[in-house]
Amino acid sequence: MAGFGQAMKLSSEFIAGVAVGAGMGWLIDRLAGTSPWGLIIFLLLGFCAGVLNVLRAAGKIAEPKPGVIGRKENE
Amino acid sequence: MANDPIHQFHISKLIPIEVGGIDLSFTNSSLFMVATVAAASAFLYFTTGARSMVPSRGQSMAELSYEFVANMLRDSAGTHGMKFFPLVFSLFMFVLFANMLGMFPYFFTVTSQIIVTFSLAVVVIGTVILYGFYKHGLKFLGLFVPSGVPGLLVPLVVAIEVISFFSRPVSLSVRLFASMLAGHITLKVFAGFIVSLAALGPLGIATAVLPLLMTVALTGLEFLISFIQAYVFAILTCMYLNDAVHPNH
Repeated sequence: MAGFGQAMKLSSEFIAGVAVGAGMGWLIDRLAGTSPWGLIIFLLLGFCAGVLNVLRAAGKIAEPKPGVIGRKENE
Repeated sequence: MANDPIHQFHISKLIPIEVGGIDLSFTNSSLFMVATVAAASAFLYFTTGARSMVPSRGQSMAELSYEFVANMLRDSAGTHGMKFFPLVFSLFMFVLFANMLGMFPYFFTVTSQIIVTFSLAVVVIGTVILYGFYKHGLKFLGLFVPSGVPGLLVPLVVAIEVISFFSRPVSLSVRLFASMLAGHITLKVFAGFIVSLAALGPLGIATAVLPLLMTVALTGLEFLISFIQAYVFAILTCMYLNDAVHPNH
């Protein structure tokens, strides 16, 4: 049972990342008329986000800890 | 139709309503959402009515669910997060009662419809975004910029973090919906095996014991999943709210 829950958790995290990336790319294409580049780039970014989600859900890497000070240094 | 495992998810219009070309019919799904809210409200109203110092069984169940959600929220979002307690408690009770009502034979499971779970997730993520911007202004956007990233990589990392953030409501809703859908289909398929096997004669009836045992075990498992999924939904809500309360943690 724990295995089924784990599988459901990780797969939904990955699918969500890819789906949201593709959706955002498609929307950008629709709004900016850049078809198909937005979809291509954001689909790949979506894969990255999906992998990131899975690694976070599996506890392999820590949650992001962005410091407000660190943000100012970056800008 | 009796053996069709998908038939239980069919939506039928009970009272057709159409306003300005938009279909707003009262469906069996709406009926069970109303029933869920009514059951959860009735449970809390009648069990906490007496307010005795020594709680009755019902009252201690209500207090237990309160303590459960309150501790969950306090642990993950801190005492500042407690202002979201009504939201998290409502979501938890709604999902729990919807899942549990779905376990009754012939009842409709509202959480097996992705639009229902997605709407709940959108409420959560909407609250996170609105409260984050209201409380922290533009500093809330610091959530998307991890510290210690080389300047050149920042745009790429921000894009990935933004996609990752917006994939949360999707994964939240897909997880609840998929668990309930898969569980109910599995139950129906195994229950269907009993009927099909029993129709084959004496040997079939003897073999039908196996799927029967499986169905009994799966029913117990489904009750467990109903609770776990409500818990998962609530705990993830708490964790996302934590981002809105403390975006720089």
